[in-house]
Amino acid sequence: MARLSPLAAALLLFSAWYAARPQGLPWQSAAQEQPEQPAVRYEFPEQVSIAAGKPAAVDLHFRIRDGLHINSHQPLQKSLIRTELIVMEPSGVSIASVDFPPGAVYASQALPADKLSVYTGEFVLHAHLTARAGEHLVQAALRYQACDANACYPPRKAPVAFDLVAK
Amino acid sequence: MPRKAFVFVVLIGAFALIVWSGITNYRAHQAQLADHRAHQLLLTPDGQATPAAESDVAPPNPLEGRQAPNFTLEDTTGKKVSLADYKGKAVLINFWATWCGPCKVEIPWFETLRDQYGSQGFEILGVSADELDLDDKTKLQSEKAEVVKFATQMHMNYPVLFNGESLKNYGELDAFPTSFYIDRSGKVLDVVTGLAPREQVEANIKKALASGKA
Repeated sequence: MARLSPLAAALLLFSAWYAARPQGLPWQSAAQEQPEQPAVRYEFPEQVSIAAGKPAAVDLHFRIRDGLHINSHQPLQKSLIRTELIVMEPSGVSIASVDFPPGAVYASQALPADKLSVYTGEFVLHAHLTARAGEHLVQAALRYQACDANACYPPRKAPVAFDLVAK
Repeated sequence: MPRKAFVFVVLIGAFALIVWSGITNYRAHQAQLADHRAHQLLLTPDGQATPAAESDVAPPNPLEGRQAPNFTLEDTTGKKVSLADYKGKAVLINFWATWCGPCKVEIPWFETLRDQYGSQGFEILGVSADELDLDDKTKLQSEKAEVVKFATQMHMNYPVLFNGESLKNYGELDAFPTSFYIDRSGKVLDVVTGLAPREQVEANIKKALASGKA
């Protein structure tokens, strides 16, 4: 039998321990394993560079937790709570408008006549803005109301923040 | 010889650990997949139905087995309604909201079941969880009007109460519908969050009617 040095034995044991750690699903991040994960989270960008004083568009990427949907910006029923972006404009930044994508039209099995306009998975908002030269912290909140097949959850806000560098 | 034995033990130990980790991770992976599937969005384009999976079994609500906290709320006719008014009856307190699709599924069941079991001493209190702006009278009237409109459209034949958000002693209700089944003695028998099958609703009503008799 070949000789096994203590170092090799230690490496072998470490490898075995590493393999024994609990593994998540391929699409799960550490944050997703936490019990109180939000239904929607802002993904990126964290920093954007634009030309100072000129109109620019910034794409804001969001992700909805698997199994959930949120109403689009234009729900098909008045009683439903639409998704909105609440922006706190910092000095030197002007946000002219925000474009929301159209929702996908769905109906649940239990209420087939009740058409919904929803977002699922990833979606992107286009913010049209201008900024004076300099660095600005833009903060906003996405207000949404999520449901799954069997339940709905009260309206919540997903925080949004990115550095806007205007040169 | 002792060194060979040591190496042998280390090799066997490492091998066993790798095999054990593989089995453990496989089981954990399967459990997570099952959990993930249970929460899948079961919506289909334009009403082409897909059967819904049963949701996970939630931990018991802290109120289960305890006396239901009393409350007084205003109903859609302006009358003050207290849970204590229904002493000796089996009561279903259903928290719902106008923006809740699954709530709209079970409301017609409640109407039928109330007709069916009302004579035996069963009552339903539909508590709206819609946010109300209590500081802005104009807005408040408009928000209440939306609840009334919804209740009328849904033909809700039982008391519909405003401002369920204020009932903090029923816990942080973070999903709707949520139903509290209360027996004749005022004890919370069961708390169901999310849409339950009609058969389960009826079984809980029967249980509440049969329990807590004087």
